[in-house]
Amino acid sequence: MASPCELLVEDVDAITASRLTQLAFNEAKRIEQKFSRYRDDNIIHQINNAKGKTIALDDETVLLLNFADQCYALSDGMFDITSGVLRKVWTFDGSDNIPGSNQVSETLKLVGWQKATLENSSFTLPQDMEIDLGGIGKEYAVDRVFNFLAKETEASFLVNFGGDLRANHQRNNGSPWSVGLENPDQVDTAKGAIQIRQGALATSGDSKRFLIKNGKRYSHVLNPKTGWPVENAPRSITVSAPTATDAGILATFALLQGEGAEKFLKNEDIPYWIIR
Amino acid sequence: MQLKKQKGISRLLATATCTLLGTVSQQVSAEDWEVDSAILFYSEPDRVTAIEPVITLKKKFSEESTLNLGLTLDSLTGASANGATASNQTQTFTRPSGKGSFTTKAGETPLDDTFKDTRVAVSANWEKQFNRLTSYNIGAAFSKEFDYTSISVNGLISRDFNQRNTTLQAGLSFASDQIDPEGGAPIAFASMAAPGQPQPKQSGTKDKDTIDLLLGITQVLGHDTIGQLNYTLSDSSGYQTDPYKLLSVVDSVSGSTLDYVYENRPEDRLKHSIYANIKHHLSNNDIVQASYRFYTDDWGIDSHTIDAKYRFDLGNERYLQPHLRFYDQSAADFYRHSLVNTNPLPQDATADYRLGDFTAITAGLKYGFKLKNAGEVSLRGEYYLQSGDSNPGDAIGIQKDQDLYPDVDAYLFQINYSFKW
Repeated sequence: MASPCELLVEDVDAITASRLTQLAFNEAKRIEQKFSRYRDDNIIHQINNAKGKTIALDDETVLLLNFADQCYALSDGMFDITSGVLRKVWTFDGSDNIPGSNQVSETLKLVGWQKATLENSSFTLPQDMEIDLGGIGKEYAVDRVFNFLAKETEASFLVNFGGDLRANHQRNNGSPWSVGLENPDQVDTAKGAIQIRQGALATSGDSKRFLIKNGKRYSHVLNPKTGWPVENAPRSITVSAPTATDAGILATFALLQGEGAEKFLKNEDIPYWIIR
Repeated sequence: MQLKKQKGISRLLATATCTLLGTVSQQVSAEDWEVDSAILFYSEPDRVTAIEPVITLKKKFSEESTLNLGLTLDSLTGASANGATASNQTQTFTRPSGKGSFTTKAGETPLDDTFKDTRVAVSANWEKQFNRLTSYNIGAAFSKEFDYTSISVNGLISRDFNQRNTTLQAGLSFASDQIDPEGGAPIAFASMAAPGQPQPKQSGTKDKDTIDLLLGITQVLGHDTIGQLNYTLSDSSGYQTDPYKLLSVVDSVSGSTLDYVYENRPEDRLKHSIYANIKHHLSNNDIVQASYRFYTDDWGIDSHTIDAKYRFDLGNERYLQPHLRFYDQSAADFYRHSLVNTNPLPQDATADYRLGDFTAITAGLKYGFKLKNAGEVSLRGEYYLQSGDSNPGDAIGIQKDQDLYPDVDAYLFQINYSFKW
């Protein structure tokens, strides 16, 4: 997941803390191994190298792809897990390497969830297209780990995978968990803090991945319909929702709005924090 | 390229997320099986020893239905009284198989040690909530030992009344048993042949069918008190005789043993019993429980059982529970300690001490505790002693010097471990 993952648990003995951490680690590891696009031994690799053949899916993968499908519909096509191939032409390393429009339009031919077929627990992806669950995976892992731990303990805990986090209830003394919002300009320092008693927080933003050319900042969030970064996207959006998956998707949807991020989130009537 | 103005996209998203997380987590964290495992060690000094492991599994399949599965293994070894009485001479008996024999010293009660048997029993019960107040339970059971097979089905219906303060239950069960005695079923009152000699036997296997009826009421009697009253009726017909049991035939003057004959019991048996129980939770968290049972059947046996338990709450989820039970039984009409050679043979007769006149007392102690996040354990030890009339008035001659109804005692130890799996 390429981010520090931590588990905060209050008021349990060392053995229980160890056991809970092991549980959390095992599940997070399992999800990473199963859904990471960087591996060559999992279902994602199978799908991305199927060369157009239909692949049979297990129940969990079916659920995730169905979910991605619903997000595609709810976002009017802006949330598209096939847009990952665009990274071949876009490398967000803080440099000024902007691709040419030919490169982008060529690669855009390989983007489009509507070109994939998901039915009867099998999935067909046209040759050279790829899926990437990076936009869902981490938040999904937080929720899965959260559900496991909630069954194992009554103690107050908070699962935090690189800023996507979820707490089961407030701390023992009645106080909320205090979460720092990372300063996009000064990575690893906080710009304000959020108080959370229970529920999830997820952050979408460009803190570490962007390009700057001619003073214009290009966020790493690409519009799958144009192949170009979303314009005037906020530097960082943090959203609060009951589950990490909800929070993550809403933050991503908001970021995809670019200019209209605030308007979108106000309309949704959910707590949010935006840094521009 | 704006998102359509849909108020409540977060609600639709939440539904999608529920499907994603809800269903998947159900798959993995399915309801647990509640496991109850126990092992029992039973020993009658110089007589029967039994080891019995039992395991029961219980799982909720929905809010309204539960499955209960049980497996019991029974392993018996040792010796059990064969019905013949002690004599002033050495006695030799033929084993039920007809091959081989065993000898009993003078003055000792004959015990047949051919007693090695293993029994397996399995059962399954399905409990279902029919509506808010009514539930039913249906089940089947099967048990097998080398000479005995039993199949049964049962059904029970329960309904609550009076704001759930009263529960009425009605149950019915049918059992069909098949008995295939070693060497064949003996002929009633046939003399026991000497070892190696032919023994006329009945051919074929024997059957016994039983129908049981239960009616019960459980009633909340107070804030911390609950009572129960049950009536049961049991009607069985078929082969009721114990194919390995004998009676001694003694001389009408000297009382010496002249012969051994196989026993015979009536084909039908009708039983009734009434059971009452009361349980009370005290303010110091201790629990006291007492029960009484009256039993009668058409074989002439009447019995009374009084049972009491007191559970001391030791704190930290530990308890100590002493137990006391008193039992008194009157003999079956056809019970005889022995037969006299000059008397005509009765239609039925048995010398099986379990159908005789006796009283028994049991005293026990149980200790229970919980393991942190790993289940509950309990340990139980009991001592049982039964005694009857060792010197009945109708003893003849040398019989007067013999113990015609020896005491039987037994030790029992059980470990129980319950956990979720």
